[in-house]
Amino acid sequence: MGKPNVAVLSGFGINCETETITAFEMAGATAKRTHVNRLVDGELKLSDFDILAVPGGFSFGDHLGSGRLLGNRLRFSLREEVRAFVASKKPVIGICNGFQVLVKMGLLPGDEDLSMSQTASLTANDCGRYEDRWVTLEFDRNSPCIWTRGIERLRVPVRHGEGKFVTNDHKLLDKWAQKGQLVAKYVDPDSTYPSSSDEILPFPISPNQSWRNVAGVCDPTGLVFGLMPHPEAYHSTWLSPDWTRETSLKHGPSPAMSIFRNAVEHSRNNREVA
Amino acid sequence: MGVQHCIDRMAHDSPHILRVDVLPILRSGLVDSRANTLISSLPKHLAGKIAATRTSLGYTIKGDFSEEEATHAATNLFSDPIIETFTIDGSIGAGQLPDGSYSDLTVQVGFKPGVTDNRAMAAEDGLGTIFPNKSNKVASTISYHFWLHDDHLELEELVDHLHNPMLEEYSILDGKNRTGNLIRFPNLKPQNYVEPRIIDLDVDDGELERISDDGLLALNLVEMKAIQGYFKQQDTQQIRSQHDLPVDSPTDVELECLAQTWSEHCSHKIFSAKIRHTDNQNGTTSTIDSLFKTHIVAPTNAISKEVDWLLSVFHDNSGVIAWTDEWSLCMKAETHNSPSALDPFGGAMTGIVGVNRDILGTGLGAKPIANTDVFCFGPPDYSGTLPKGLFHPSRIFSGVHSGVRAGGNESGIPTINGSIVFDDRYIGKPLVYCGTVGLMPRYLPDGRESHVKTPRPGDLIYMVGGRVGSDGIHGATFSSLELTEDSPSSAVQIGDPITQKKMLDMILEARDAGLIQVITDNGAGGLSSSVGEMAELTGGATIDLGMVPLKQLGLKSWEILVSESQERMTVGIRGDDSDEFERLARLHEVEATAIGTFSDSGFFQINHNEKCVGLIPIPFLHEGCPQLQLESEWNPPTNPDVVLPIPTLRSLSTALEKILERPNVASKEWWVRSYDHEVIAQTVVKPFVGLDHDAPGDAAVIAPLPGSIIGAVISNGIVPRYSDIDAYSMTAAAIDEAVRNAVCVGVDLSMIAGLDNFCWPDPIESEKTPDGKQKLAQLVRSNQALDDVCRAYTLPCISGKDSMKNDAVIEGQKISVPPTLLFSLIGRHKDITKAVTSDFKSYDDRIYLLGLTKQEIGASELAFMIRESDNSSGIGTSVPILDPERNIALYRALGNAMENEMIRSAHDCSDGGLSVSLAESCFGFSGGANIDVSEILLGDDELDEWGALFGESLGRIIVSVSPECAMEFEKKMKGHAIYKLGRTTSSREIKISAHGKTILNCDVDSLKAAWKGTLDRRA
Repeated sequence: MGKPNVAVLSGFGINCETETITAFEMAGATAKRTHVNRLVDGELKLSDFDILAVPGGFSFGDHLGSGRLLGNRLRFSLREEVRAFVASKKPVIGICNGFQVLVKMGLLPGDEDLSMSQTASLTANDCGRYEDRWVTLEFDRNSPCIWTRGIERLRVPVRHGEGKFVTNDHKLLDKWAQKGQLVAKYVDPDSTYPSSSDEILPFPISPNQSWRNVAGVCDPTGLVFGLMPHPEAYHSTWLSPDWTRETSLKHGPSPAMSIFRNAVEHSRNNREVA
Repeated sequence: MGVQHCIDRMAHDSPHILRVDVLPILRSGLVDSRANTLISSLPKHLAGKIAATRTSLGYTIKGDFSEEEATHAATNLFSDPIIETFTIDGSIGAGQLPDGSYSDLTVQVGFKPGVTDNRAMAAEDGLGTIFPNKSNKVASTISYHFWLHDDHLELEELVDHLHNPMLEEYSILDGKNRTGNLIRFPNLKPQNYVEPRIIDLDVDDGELERISDDGLLALNLVEMKAIQGYFKQQDTQQIRSQHDLPVDSPTDVELECLAQTWSEHCSHKIFSAKIRHTDNQNGTTSTIDSLFKTHIVAPTNAISKEVDWLLSVFHDNSGVIAWTDEWSLCMKAETHNSPSALDPFGGAMTGIVGVNRDILGTGLGAKPIANTDVFCFGPPDYSGTLPKGLFHPSRIFSGVHSGVRAGGNESGIPTINGSIVFDDRYIGKPLVYCGTVGLMPRYLPDGRESHVKTPRPGDLIYMVGGRVGSDGIHGATFSSLELTEDSPSSAVQIGDPITQKKMLDMILEARDAGLIQVITDNGAGGLSSSVGEMAELTGGATIDLGMVPLKQLGLKSWEILVSESQERMTVGIRGDDSDEFERLARLHEVEATAIGTFSDSGFFQINHNEKCVGLIPIPFLHEGCPQLQLESEWNPPTNPDVVLPIPTLRSLSTALEKILERPNVASKEWWVRSYDHEVIAQTVVKPFVGLDHDAPGDAAVIAPLPGSIIGAVISNGIVPRYSDIDAYSMTAAAIDEAVRNAVCVGVDLSMIAGLDNFCWPDPIESEKTPDGKQKLAQLVRSNQALDDVCRAYTLPCISGKDSMKNDAVIEGQKISVPPTLLFSLIGRHKDITKAVTSDFKSYDDRIYLLGLTKQEIGASELAFMIRESDNSSGIGTSVPILDPERNIALYRALGNAMENEMIRSAHDCSDGGLSVSLAESCFGFSGGANIDVSEILLGDDELDEWGALFGESLGRIIVSVSPECAMEFEKKMKGHAIYKLGRTTSSREIKISAHGKTILNCDVDSLKAAWKGTLDRRA
């Protein structure tokens, strides 16, 4: 059986397509740089792909709110294609700006009906500025998220100015928590696993003062996953800021690669079932 | 300025104007972080009078929208339903909030007509998505709403902080009538096209000079006379009559084209000048026929016989080296000083996106993969008087920083390395150096070498990217003049990284498809320079200005030709490829327009709607500018000696803490962390290293090929302080610093290349510059050093730039920058998994100092610090002297030890000397250091404790080695200057002793707090 095909979106200020492609290819997929307009114009069909990735960047310069304009392009031009994609059990990931896109187009945290109406947002960090720093994530082991299976913690970089996850409906927040949709949280690296908490952790453990320390969420099916930090930026061990202090490190793919391998494996299984 | 009479307003908007204003909702867990950031940036006396602040973003929209459609757009495009609320009648923008409350005072700020408005352009695009069939035009505004404690607010000062009058206008909204005073839509005044003027040059010399001055042409009399002479020639007149041009006089189009091409900015006249150099120190006189050819090109040519990796040097937009068999790297650094003085944000942003285009315009197009930024500012805490019209250095600092952050981050190019230097003399003109590294395949799929341009006569000339407007006219000539209060605002622009990013994606796709034959960017001089330069390759070009897409109608022919409107490339395409090229442009939503063809006619012909308005022979355009004849005279300056206090445990320990607090040495982490230094996932050694990622890295190491351990090293050296004694030493020190930093991370010394970026005060003697001969002598000495050191280090310069008019004359007061060279280095790293960082790694490792220490404290950071508190002290004369042969041998030996993985940490000694370097290595781990400097002191009779601890002798590196490797390391380094200093400790203190006595003892955490406190805005 061939390798799963990944559509890695590009264009309009998406910046992280190169390393996202690298991460998927290292995980055993074939990844294609896919300009949004090639899908909109019908030159390429989303249904021909097995995985959809919306990488990080500054689509449309983040003007009018991060992810808003690209989210609208997808929401108004590719709505049914995206719904059909998720309905056929194909995984979708949005990283950083891509996460903002998925939240603003209503795909995340999402609902069972795939109604694509916005219920949460990612707003300006409390520190009021963009920062690049490494954080520690902890993943909910009871989450349905297919991307984070078997992963307890990861060190990854955040690089954003608008990553504070908020909503206007606290009942929804409880519902998402209960269903395991608040799958990735910032956590104190000195604590022991599992120890994620809802109490907002101090800066810079939480780089943005996100509600309940949320760094990433999935939809009710666990197929659609979005997160502010950049696992693709840590595809190889030498990209960690700590590798020069580690003794007897064996260089190669990093621990963050598990996220991409999980999706590739899911796609293989999904194809077998289909 | 009366604040109430700031703008001409209309009482009511026309019916087709819609005003959407968006306000962040405040409730538990939500804040208006934009307002909080503003308050923290205001001076305390202003902030103290403000009880509360909120901000809202506004959009003034021209178009035919019903109320229902307006609400749809406000809900689905302009606002975020979860966190924001909006109005569509301007009331929020005017300070009438949805809950019925009013601000005490609202200041609305919007752009002046014609200024790039990125948020508005995004809004227009977004409206196009939801209303595909409606045309619209948007202008953005921001409203600051204040609730005051105190009516006696300094309103004028507050308003000054909220806008830049060069680009923006504002309106004060308070009391009852609010929406009637909102800023009007910034309509550009309609301009009527005016036919090119004929400039009569058959005039006397005074009139020639007046024509140059009045037209901001920046041409001197000799150059004006050369142009005059050309139009008197018979052949000229004959060919001109055939083209229906005025036979014996240029059109304004031609004069402007020549002025741009011959500007100091574009043609480097001072570096090409014939200089008669007198050295009064050794009593010799010599003649230098072009500093550039003699001291920059010659050494590179000599080195090119020893190395096989120089692919393209000096002639293209950046220098190219053969990094691996499949990939080449290129690098370029530029300055954007004058624009950054006038508009720090826009100036710096156009600086960084501009140098990115130099990379895209190299060969057949390279991909920008890393940015470096080096800034020189006035002191951030400057409290002296500031000439009117100049921004305070702290505002320049934060504006430049924001511009580079926006430009780099939004373009998806990591900022991997940089430096910030502070000195009083940068108050007049800050220096903003922006550098970019590019990556390209050695060969394209069609077999062509990608560093070689391949145009042919007949190829179509395309302008790609942004449109041409009246912004950016005369940037090249303006930067060739000093800054005055009358400097034109049209020389200032705001960059548009998204338009550029779309263009970049498209160009690289076109390159890989084999469509590009020749490419260059439109920077200084606009189309005049880009087409004019490329025309040299085929021997001619014809363009039609009537084909050029414009931002506004009515631009004059010469304005279209020389406008420096941003985000444009000029590309040559074979006629057969034009359909495919245009298809790619449409896919990426990039404008690409054929505006002419390359030819072999021998002329650069400029038409406007098929009528010839300019015809200049290519040789006259590029070689017709007469060589400057200059004189320089070197007199070593006299500087009083440094008055050193008695070296005691207390004086030395205090000095270390104080020197770490100084802005030049202090941590810049707070600023650097807001640059994305990791996008595209290649940054192996990041700007900050160590246990808590907050100790300074020496040089950046990147691994641009996914999965491959082949890397590149990028470093910088800059030490303008030393120019106060000798620009030769300044230059030697800058080069050594760049090399030393690269050595610290393990660069492969067999492939290092350099970039020289000179920023000088005007070095031509004149009434305005009576000390021109000395300044030119400093330039000569700097070039001599560059020549000597680059040869000794086998370090060819592959590209460079000079900016020669870094003076500000404000209210008759002249402020000149110190002669400043930024030396940037790019080198190969054979195996990035063996890269070394500056932080000590574990307790009980052995610490060594490599390199010789002398009593070299002249113009050191210590000397400047002592002078600030002791009027009787000078900066001395003992500036560090470089011994490049000795250093390079040492560096090679150290590199070899690194390849053998014997080195646990390496950090260079620069500003503040050995003690600062030792402290910084401790900042990156949890312990301290215990060292003895007796052996160093014994090595030199003149050396005292101040010199040993704070002197800045070059060529020195502190390394740590595990106890197991120590013996073997010492053996390896035999014959080189190596001093065993001591060891790392678990106790959190730095203890330095000499001859059995403790001479310095400091707590590492206190030192680190001092080092981090000065520039950290969060502290």
